[in-house]
Amino acid sequence: MKNLAIFIDSKNGLITESSKRLLDFASNWSFQNGSESIYVYGFELVSSDMLSTYSSIKQYTHIKIPDLVNHSQVITPLLEEIQQKGISQFFYVKSLLMDTIASSLANKLAIPLISNVLKVEKVSAGFHMTKSVFSGKATLTTEIKSESFLVAFSKSFSMELLSNPGNSSVGQTEITLGKDIQNKLIENHPLTGSIPLPDAAIVVGAGRGFKDPSNWGIVEDLAKELGAATACSKPVSDLNWRPHHEHVGQTGVKIAPKLYIACGISGAIQHLAGVNGSRKIVVINNDSEAPFFKHADYGIVGDVFDVLPRLLNKLKSH
Amino acid sequence: MKILVCISVVPDTTSKITLDSSNTHINSEGLTFIVGPYDDYALSRAIEIKEQNQAELVVLHVGTSDSEALIRKCLALGADSAVRIDTAALDSYQVAQEIIHYTQDKSFDLIMMGKEAIDYNSGIIHALVAHGLGFNHFSPVMHADYDGGQLTLEIETDLGKSKVSSTLPAVLGCQEPIAEWKIPSMRGIMTARTKEIAVIAPSKTNFESQITAHVVETERLQKMIPVENAESLIDILKSENLI
Ligand SMILES: Cc1cc2nc3c(=O)[nH]c(=O)nc-3n(C[C@H](O)[C@H](O)[C@H](O)COP(=O)(O)OP(=O)(O)OC[C@H]3O[C@@H](n4cnc5c(N)ncnc54)[C@H](O)[C@@H]3O)c2cc1C
Ligand SMILES: Nc1ncnc2c1ncn2[C@@H]1O[C@H](COP(=O)(O)O)[C@@H](O)[C@H]1O
Repeated sequence: MKNLAIFIDSKNGLITESSKRLLDFASNWSFQNGSESIYVYGFELVSSDMLSTYSSIKQYTHIKIPDLVNHSQVITPLLEEIQQKGISQFFYVKSLLMDTIASSLANKLAIPLISNVLKVEKVSAGFHMTKSVFSGKATLTTEIKSESFLVAFSKSFSMELLSNPGNSSVGQTEITLGKDIQNKLIENHPLTGSIPLPDAAIVVGAGRGFKDPSNWGIVEDLAKELGAATACSKPVSDLNWRPHHEHVGQTGVKIAPKLYIACGISGAIQHLAGVNGSRKIVVINNDSEAPFFKHADYGIVGDVFDVLPRLLNKLKSH
Repeated sequence: MKILVCISVVPDTTSKITLDSSNTHINSEGLTFIVGPYDDYALSRAIEIKEQNQAELVVLHVGTSDSEALIRKCLALGADSAVRIDTAALDSYQVAQEIIHYTQDKSFDLIMMGKEAIDYNSGIIHALVAHGLGFNHFSPVMHADYDGGQLTLEIETDLGKSKVSSTLPAVLGCQEPIAEWKIPSMRGIMTARTKEIAVIAPSKTNFESQITAHVVETERLQKMIPVENAESLIDILKSENLI
């Protein structure tokens, strides 16, 4: 029996965009590779209706975590469930919480964990796993012989759309992880405001081309319309035009969204080091010689103060 | 108190990556290698904790003899000794197994690493090692203080930032601004010459996975859209399911 498990992410009971892709992936994978059943795990209650349009899903397990300090010592209930279900392949999209849980499972089950994967394929000798490496400057494919493994997908992982939509009747259950008694939470500073940058599926980045912090309204409006997070280049945060945590690049946050729209950013190598992992890149810059165009999927040579409002209008007219 | 710092050796961030003639492996000729930037933060903070607590500090690297000069640099910065596990680092899972195997019976109290190695960007070795050894695990850690047997840490979580206290033994994945990078002193460089780099055989020689292909520079379409038709970008992005 080769059952598989996926761990999904949801916010207020709604499955996130990258987790929907993971569900698509798992349904296709199960169909193509003869896996028996898919077990879905998540950290909130989600309705069975949301899962029933995918094929082969057997059960949804709500994992309850009593405190958020450290989940390392307390995985036993999950481990028991997994062993009892005969699950041998695990897939999730990278997050800090899931990396912790997966590392613990990898050790307890003595199976490899492959991190930052873009694509998985079955081949005659085993499996080919393609990873994003060197901050997105290259990809690397490794061949894994083991039939059992954990795969941590990069946020920008690719997959075919669901070719085989199904109809599962999904059972629901819950387990509660043990309490972490060694470590203590002293203070919590939850992220406030808009979408956290490292998680965002779409990012709008803006650089020194905007000339003044008072010009950021159009960037924020566009981001809002797209459900995107905002990012900036280093000089922009150095000048205090934008908060430091928005700065992406070699010395800042590394992002891997499905879409990065870079506006008024020259495309210096240190900036690229943080955004190379994006699936598709759009560059808007008024200098046709800007180095960023060589690293773009779509480029527009134009003034951000002209182009951005037009894009926003077009979006709103739909 | 015994502290271990694990370092990766990686091409400089600004390096242009090319392939060798086999087209499957990265061409290391002409590349400048550095200690992983996040590992450098871990080492810098470990040196400060060592000095405050009269601890012993060991540096560990899984890799070939090509890395000796960079290991020597860590000794010059203030590590007491170093260990090199003599096998090519192929994969984070493999490196983690080697680190677990080596540390199992060495009673380290604190293991510090970078939050991720900038070559394969896995960000997973610290977690694997912590769970393998049954140590507490935190990453990414932005501040770490050790006092009276307790660690006080500022960490990032999926939901924001938290301050936590933890007991030893623990494994930390570090990032800025945990410490300032240090520069070796002349005296450090001199004394490093006499410090030991122990070379140890790997626990596993045949690894189950194998690199089959490397592709350099994720291909970009480089399609230009005339500015008069800027709006058509929205249609393209929609048709590709990107928005
Ligand atoms: C060690 C080191 C680390 C670094 N780390 C980072 C990092 O992590 N992240 C980072 O971003 N940078 C980093 N840098 C800085 C980097 O080298 C560049 O200086 C920086 O990315 C440039 O930012 P920019 O593109 O916003 O500004 P500029 O280089 O000034 O570019 C502005 C761009 O806007 C365009 N423009 C101007 N007006 C308009 C307009 N009206 N409409 C459209 N386009 C317009 C211009 O043509 C130009 O291309 C680092 C540098 C060093 C040395
Ligand atoms: N070859 C290696 N030898 C020793 N430590 C390593 C090695 N590779 C990575 N590390 C450590 O593990 C951390 C995380 O690496 P990774 O999980 O591969 O991103 C790095 O920041 C280093 O501290």
